[in-house]
Amino acid sequence: MTSLSFELTIGILKIFSFVVPVLVSVALLVYLERKVLGAVQLRKGPNVVGPFGILQSFADVLKLLTKENLLPSSSNKFLFIFAPMLTLILSLIAWAVIPISSTYVIANINIGILYLFAVSSFGVYGVIIAGWASNSKYPFLGALRSAAQMISYEVSIGFVIITVLICVGSLNLIDIVESQKNMWFAIPLLPMFVIFIISALAETNRLPFDLPEDEATLVAGFFTEYSSISFGLFFLAEYANMILMSSLTVILFLGGWYPPIDIFPLNAIPGIFWFVIKVFLILFVFLWVRATFPRYRYDQLMRLGWKIFLPFTLIWVVITSAFLFYFGLLPN
Amino acid sequence: MFLVGSFFLFAAFLITTCIFVIFSKNPVNSVLFLVLAFLNSTFLFILIGAEFVGIILAIVYIGAVAILFLFVVMMLDIQITTLMFNIKRYIPLALLFAGIILAEIIYLTVFKTSKENLDTFIRSKNNTEQIGDVLYTEYFIDFQLSGIVLLLAMIGAIVLTHVYRPTIKRQNIESQNSTTAQDRVKLVKINSGEGIKDD
Repeated sequence: MTSLSFELTIGILKIFSFVVPVLVSVALLVYLERKVLGAVQLRKGPNVVGPFGILQSFADVLKLLTKENLLPSSSNKFLFIFAPMLTLILSLIAWAVIPISSTYVIANINIGILYLFAVSSFGVYGVIIAGWASNSKYPFLGALRSAAQMISYEVSIGFVIITVLICVGSLNLIDIVESQKNMWFAIPLLPMFVIFIISALAETNRLPFDLPEDEATLVAGFFTEYSSISFGLFFLAEYANMILMSSLTVILFLGGWYPPIDIFPLNAIPGIFWFVIKVFLILFVFLWVRATFPRYRYDQLMRLGWKIFLPFTLIWVVITSAFLFYFGLLPN
Repeated sequence: MFLVGSFFLFAAFLITTCIFVIFSKNPVNSVLFLVLAFLNSTFLFILIGAEFVGIILAIVYIGAVAILFLFVVMMLDIQITTLMFNIKRYIPLALLFAGIILAEIIYLTVFKTSKENLDTFIRSKNNTEQIGDVLYTEYFIDFQLSGIVLLLAMIGAIVLTHVYRPTIKRQNIESQNSTTAQDRVKLVKINSGEGIKDD
């Protein structure tokens, strides 16, 4: 019995060791985003609260917490409150299978990549329930856009993942990283790497694909009716999802915790450092894209997803598997 | 003990959510309960050790099919009273299908499956690999046939619903890109005091 309670305590501590850093990095990511946008647009960005304005996001969270939480009178009350909670829960439970080093992971399961794919595809429920439960036009349009968009881009994400899996021969995330010890998959599968990053932008509803919350036409899209901390939960979940998709990119394509070259001074540094620095670089790409590209029109978004990415990834799956088959490189 | 307890818990949830799917007044709530039912059946699959089947069920049915259901149902303007009236008409058909499925389950569990086979399948280390071994070899024809059935359904749905409306303006990206400055702008030299001559 004591061993059971001991394991339970260790498990809970492990969960906290993931969730707390994720939530803190969400706050820092919001700060980083505002600083990067400021730098790109020749402004200073937040610079008042704390040294270099680093406490700005924490101040924003405190402000959100003290505001009144409004419930629209004609909304579906239960679902209206449930939707932001669901979104945040889904963006946090995915961390259960993310390995940050060859040994440190909460649950090392056989089908880790499928679990991640499933959880990220559930993410659309938070958005669609929020849009419907608000019982208002702009949120509803945002929810419809979001449902169509996320399903479209999941198809190409699925094919990209299949290509990587053909090269690895396992669904386990640790196996996927360890098979990249000598060469990161970003090099032989460069087109898939680019498509994965673009689809990740669409999957997390980030610019230039943030049609579900398009403020120019839909006020704030699916969270127009949300205020105070229920809005805060959506905000938190969006950024946690960004970090999650970046980690997934690092695991699938950038060799997880392995250093760029396996030589002495680089491989002496602990793997967690390499993992974090790669996630940071991908996140910077997310912010850079936001500052650089204008928003897509909705028909352009659908055209890109179905008419360009889907055929391209489909053909690339065939090419990759044919190449591996004829040169006898298939795993196992 | 823990496994048996969780089985009964998830099975009870599954049946409860199924009942709610049928008796919810609001169709959107019905679809959301359907999602919960899918989720519980995923848990049941994982409990017997078939984690691959379970998670694929979650990805396909919760991640795609139910979202499309929700998408359609949310846009319908359904009168709840007529819906409740119509349910009674379908009861005989529903009972017929329920009977067929029940007979199939009884046939499969009692006559077809040997207990040892099921046990070795469940106890084996990795059922993903086992499915992969037989899917393209032993069940190749069945797999391709099911693919063709799905393809037919997809083409059928497109043929039934797609109406080409010539009045809608569409963007032709190729013609836009191949346009040159000469197609759009003409530079005219105008002599002072003469104005533009029409040619």
